[in-house]
Formats: sequence, structure tokens, C-alpha cells
Amino acid sequence: MRFITIDKKSWANGLENLCENYRLFGPVRDNNHHFFKKLAKGELPDFNYLNTRLSPKSIVYPQSETMFEYSLDESKEDHHILKEINKDYSLQALIGIRPCDAASYLLVKCNFDTPEYKDPYWLRAYESTIFAGLACGNPRSTCFCTSAGCGPFHEDGLDLLLVDEGENFIAKILTSRGENFIKSAGWETETDPTAAEKIIKDMKIKAEEKIASFVSTDQLKNKLSIKLYDAPFWDDIAFACINCGTCTYACPTCWCFDIQDEVSSSSGLRMRNWDSCMYPLFTLHGSGYNPRNTKMQRVRQRFMHKLKYYVDKYGDGIQCVGCGRCIRLCPVNIDIRRVCDMMNKYED
Amino acid sequence: MNEWKPRIVGFLCNWCSYGAADLAGVSRMQYPPNVRVIRIPCTGRMSPKFILAAFMKGADGVWISGCHPGDCHYMEGNYYARRKFALFKNLIEYMGIEPGRLHFSWISSAESTKFASVVNEVTSAVKALGPREHFIKTMPRVA
Amino acid sequence: MSEYLSKIKEISERLLKEEKVEIIIGFRKGTVPMMNEPCFAKTPEQVKELVWDSNCGINLANYLTDRKEKIGIIAKGCDSRNIVTHIIENKIKREQLFIIGVSCKGMIDKNKITSMFENEINEVSEDEENIIVKGEGFEKTLNKNDVLQENCKICVHRNPVIYDELAADLLVEQKDVDRYEDVRKIEAMAPEDKWNYFDDILSDCIRCYACRNACPLCYCPTCFVDESRPQWVGKSIDPVDTRTFHFLRAYHCAGRCTDCGACERACPMGIKVRTFTKKLGKDCLELYGWEAGLSLDERPPLDTYRPDDPEDFIK
Repeated sequence: MRFITIDKKSWANGLENLCENYRLFGPVRDNNHHFFKKLAKGELPDFNYLNTRLSPKSIVYPQSETMFEYSLDESKEDHHILKEINKDYSLQALIGIRPCDAASYLLVKCNFDTPEYKDPYWLRAYESTIFAGLACGNPRSTCFCTSAGCGPFHEDGLDLLLVDEGENFIAKILTSRGENFIKSAGWETETDPTAAEKIIKDMKIKAEEKIASFVSTDQLKNKLSIKLYDAPFWDDIAFACINCGTCTYACPTCWCFDIQDEVSSSSGLRMRNWDSCMYPLFTLHGSGYNPRNTKMQRVRQRFMHKLKYYVDKYGDGIQCVGCGRCIRLCPVNIDIRRVCDMMNKYED
Repeated sequence: MNEWKPRIVGFLCNWCSYGAADLAGVSRMQYPPNVRVIRIPCTGRMSPKFILAAFMKGADGVWISGCHPGDCHYMEGNYYARRKFALFKNLIEYMGIEPGRLHFSWISSAESTKFASVVNEVTSAVKALGPREHFIKTMPRVA
Repeated sequence: MSEYLSKIKEISERLLKEEKVEIIIGFRKGTVPMMNEPCFAKTPEQVKELVWDSNCGINLANYLTDRKEKIGIIAKGCDSRNIVTHIIENKIKREQLFIIGVSCKGMIDKNKITSMFENEINEVSEDEENIIVKGEGFEKTLNKNDVLQENCKICVHRNPVIYDELAADLLVEQKDVDRYEDVRKIEAMAPEDKWNYFDDILSDCIRCYACRNACPLCYCPTCFVDESRPQWVGKSIDPVDTRTFHFLRAYHCAGRCTDCGACERACPMGIKVRTFTKKLGKDCLELYGWEAGLSLDERPPLDTYRPDDPEDFIK
């Protein structure tokens, strides 16, 4: 394991070098909130943030993404043929992504990259992305990453981890892609691994101590789905829900999409847009029948998927990294921590 | 070079303005050919979506014409429509569509002269504004 | 506020005990600062959970739509106006309702307060006049009137317009409020500037429909954005489609909107969605002398007409 010290004075310079080989994305303050945006040449990411308003999942998985184009003009030779749209899959880097958001990519990966099916759009974008994480020294009150299989200094899903040490960043290089990234920036000051490891460990303990909210998930696996499904608490949980898509769109691990064709005169476009299990249209059949027609059913689906079906199917914990966005943004304050605990301790 | 010609969508009530167009035609009146007419059963049938759809698909102007107040075939359709139109016109102009893109008129089936003159008026107003730039949906602008 | 709450609880408990209602709709304390969660109470025991403070900005009329049972509902000025609208639109029956009226001194703007501090806010409490904000390394007292939601600042119907029992004395309504200053500013802009202005405020929209769904007026079985034959509005985040959504959403509330601010409060991106609906509110007032939700006996403006309605825009 290599550790590099990056003097903050050489930060801007390094990023400039990186621009040559990578499209850089980083947290940028827009009005009162931070968002992941493409950094223009010379633009610096703003690391003075708790967590971005929306998750950075859209960098790899845009809210609206084109798939094919076609022409309906029969005078053209290739009419009615779906044609791939050229997209930029050159190397890109997410600088300053929080460990929770980086971990979320691994959860999403299990949906888009299976032995049987590989989603070409997501996978190509994912494979062209370097995850340069920023350790989280100042978690929010709604963060519960440590009990959601993650943590403020969590390394899974990252190519390197940056730790802010005041004057310097310490970069812990985790993969060969991370190695190339650092090389490309021109940061070369290697530092003693034992000392660096110690600093990082101390900071990690401090950060983890700051996390004040937790969920218990240990019993979820042992519950019967059908019992949880029929549990009496859903009406209470769902009452306030207005069935907007805020939680699902803000969530770094929600992956559902809907495919749409749009045609204008004789040219057409096929694209996919984020969809949300909160919408009635999500499950509406062509016949007009909707098997999930009430808001209680939809709310239940969201939580059952994240906290039960996923747990059973993939066996690696809940489909949640504890970033707390859905808690902060929900217009009516439906709190996944409360729901998770109710599910976990439910005895029929 | 081809001169730019405005495209105007005209929604005409079956019971009056549409008849006026007919009468203007058989009377051999001259008026600009830029209005594409869609016949509607009553101005009360107009949905705001129709107007927005016309704009989104690239119409440079939209014109809606119905029966004079008191003359509605369905007694009061145009009275209801009048309120909807007032609010709609204000809102779309508030949103940034230029005044002069959206027109309304009352033309009875006997008023072929008024019909021709309103077509003139609408066409020249839209012409003066030139091609519309905003609020046109062709291919979605997405990633 | 605390005297409000004890009265609310007393009434609610009585209603449930005497079986006058089957359910009370109110708020319980939220899990994050400046948020309360709409909830119901079906037993006197559950009534204990109810709260009332300056974080009850969500419009509870939204939870009445098509309910069948006898309901007790806590209603501030705007909730009560939306209850009136619900009744005249046949979404609930007056006889089903026991309205616990609460005169309202305004709800606080969580976005505004959050943006005033660099660090995260951990706790927000209040007394009659002040909001006390605490976070890591800071504590500040704000004057409540300075941090009210925009719609609450200009509210002239703070008292419930219909109620069965009051939880607090009626207030003196605000007078001489200029409610439409912002609308006039936009009206005075050139078309191109207007266009850009709205492009700018809508640029963050993620089409989550929180504004639509937080609104008690939006109860169509199929919303126009979900219609597919024809499809009036595309489902991507194309700016024209986004604008069409906001335009039609607002237009659909014409003459019905009470400016309760639930839409703006619900928006996760902080978009000023009331900018659209307020214009319609202003026009309805100026053209038809109408304010929504004030009377059970009058039809809303687009459901009626006068032979001499203004028509100077018609040739």
C-alpha cells in the first residue's frame, strides 16, 4: 500500500495535469448546496461540504440517458434501424466522492453487472470512472453509514482515498487505477506507510465516534418476507407519504429506470429515465390493471426492497449506505432509520 | 433565399369561425395562407394542452376563435373558455412567450370580412415577431 | 404554541373517546430539525404523539382526499381553505369532518434557516417570538418573523375560515400586505428576460413531482404527465418538458391555489415553484375578485362565469 502526501499548494497544479487525461467531476457549490458537476479547466472542487444534495450516481447513470437513435424516413437506407449513439467513455474521475457514495456504486453494480446480463451503458461509464474518495471527517446527524455496512473512511469502491490533514492531503492508493491517477497528477511525495496509516486510523476513529445515529439490521435476514409484508405498521409508516420520487432520486442506490421513445417528425430517440417505485405508473400494466395501486403498497415496496428483498437476494447487507439523503429531503419526514428498526424488531 | 413564412395553428369553433372561413372562401376573399386550421366543437373544448402542444411542436403562433358571447351553440361554452383563455394567455406571457404569439377572437359564421381581417392581423403580428425560438421540443436535450 | 398543543390534544382525545371521529389527522414530531411528520391518531393513547409548532407547513388537507370515515383534522388558515376547496370539489364531505381550527402565526422556512449557517443545524426550538438554532459550535436566536416561509409572510388568512372548534383565539389578520410584489417584477420584464428567469429557476428540477404531490389540489386519477395517448409532456429532464410540467401544474391550480406553500416547502431542490401559481392567484383576484377557499357557497372561477367578464384580449 502506497501513501502519497499532497501539499495543498500543489493541489491546483495536480488537477490541471489531471485534466489532460481525465474528465474531472467534483463537488461544486451552487446556491446553498453542493452538487457533483463537471469541473472546468482550472476549476477546483469545493471540499468544504458535508454531503452533496443529490448523490453522484448521475455521473455514471444520468437521470435521462440516450440509448439509440433511428430514422423513420423511408427514403433513407437505414430507416427503422436502431443505431447506437456515440458517447464519451473516455476516462473520468470523481474527485472528492464520499466513501458512502462510492460504496453505493458497488451496490448498484450487482444490478447492472450480473453473470447473465451486463448493462452496457452503466458498465462502460462505470469502468471509465476513477473514484478518488474524500474521507469524511464531519458526518451529519442523519448519517448512519457505520451501521449500514459502510463508514466515513470506508475504502470499498474507491481507487484512492484522500484524507484532509490540514496543510496536506494524504492519498491512500488502493488500486492500480488510483496509482495511475496520482502519477498523472504529478504528486510524488511518498510518505511513510506506518505513520500515514496511524494518522488515518486516528482520524477514522474520531470520525466514527461522531456518528450518532444507527440502524439495527441483524434480524432482517431471519424474518419471513411474507410476515414483514403483512406487518401492521405499514399504514402508519405510509400515512404521511405523498408518493413523490424525492427519496428514490436522491438515493445513491436506487437504480430503477423506464425506457421511452420520443419521435420528432421522422427522427426518433430511445432513452431511459430514472423511474421511481413511488409512482403509480411504475407498475401499471398495459391492461390498465395496477397491482401496486395504493401508496401503502408502494411505500412498503421501497422499504422491503432495500431492507429485505435485497438482503435475501445478495446476502451482503442492506441496499443502503446510510448517507441520510432520503431522511433530509423527504418532504414529510419519513425516516428510513425508524422503518428499518421497526422491521428489524418486528415479531409477529 | 426563401422568405420565412410563419406557421400558425388556428383552432376554430365548428359553429361560427369555421363557417366564417368557409364563407370567406366562397366569397373569394383574399387573406394570408399561413393558418393551419383545426376544427373544434366549441371553444369550451379547448384544453390548455392543445395550445402548449402547438407551441411545443413549433407553431409560431396560435389563434383560437369562437362564437360571440351569448351565441354559443352549447349556451355557455365560450363563457367558460373566456376565463380559461384570460388566465392562460397571462400565464404563458408571464413565462416568456412574446405577446402577439397567442390570439383570440369571436367571429360569427356570417362575419367573413372579420375572419379575413383577423387572419391578416394575426399573421402580420406573428410575422413581425419572426420565428419562435423558445419552447420548441424536437429531440430531448438530455445526456 | 404549547397552549395550542394542549388544547389540540384535549379536543382530539375527547373526539376519539366520544367516538365523534374515527381518526385525527395531525403532526408528530419529526426526526430531523424543522420537520414534522403528518400522522394519524386512532386512539386517545396515540393523541399523545401529536405536536403543533412552526414546522407544520405541510398542508393536511392533502390527507383528506376521498377518505370515507369521520375525521378530526387540525387546520391552520391555509389548510382550512383547502378543506373548503376539497368540499366544493366533492373530495370530502363537510359532515365527515370535525375541524380543529388553529390560528397560525406562520411556519418557518427550513431552507432559509439552513442557508444561514455554514455548519449543520442539530436542534431548533422556539418560543412565542423567537427561533433558537443550535449546531456544533454555535447557537443563535432568530426572530421568527424574519425566517417565515415566503407565503406565510404575506398571508392574510391566518385564521381558519371554517372550523368546529378553535384550539386558540383568532388572530388579527395582517393588513396592507403587498402580496404580489415579486409577480409584478417578473411581469415588468421583457419576454426574453422572463424566459431566462424561468429557465434559471427550473434548471435544478429533477421531476420528482414533490411539488405536485404535496399539493392538496393534485388528486387527478391520472396526472397529465402520466398520460400516454397522447403523451403531452415527455418524461425526461429536457428543459421544455420540465417547463411544460411546471406550467400545466400551476395552471391546473388556477383559482384553486390557496398559496399554502406546501409545494415550495416540499421541493428537494429549493425551486421557487410558487412563482407560477402566484401569478394565477393574482390574476384570479384582479380579473374575477376571487380568492380560493373562502366560501362553501361560491363556485371556483373556472367553474363559473359572468357575462361581462373582461375580454379586452379577444378580437
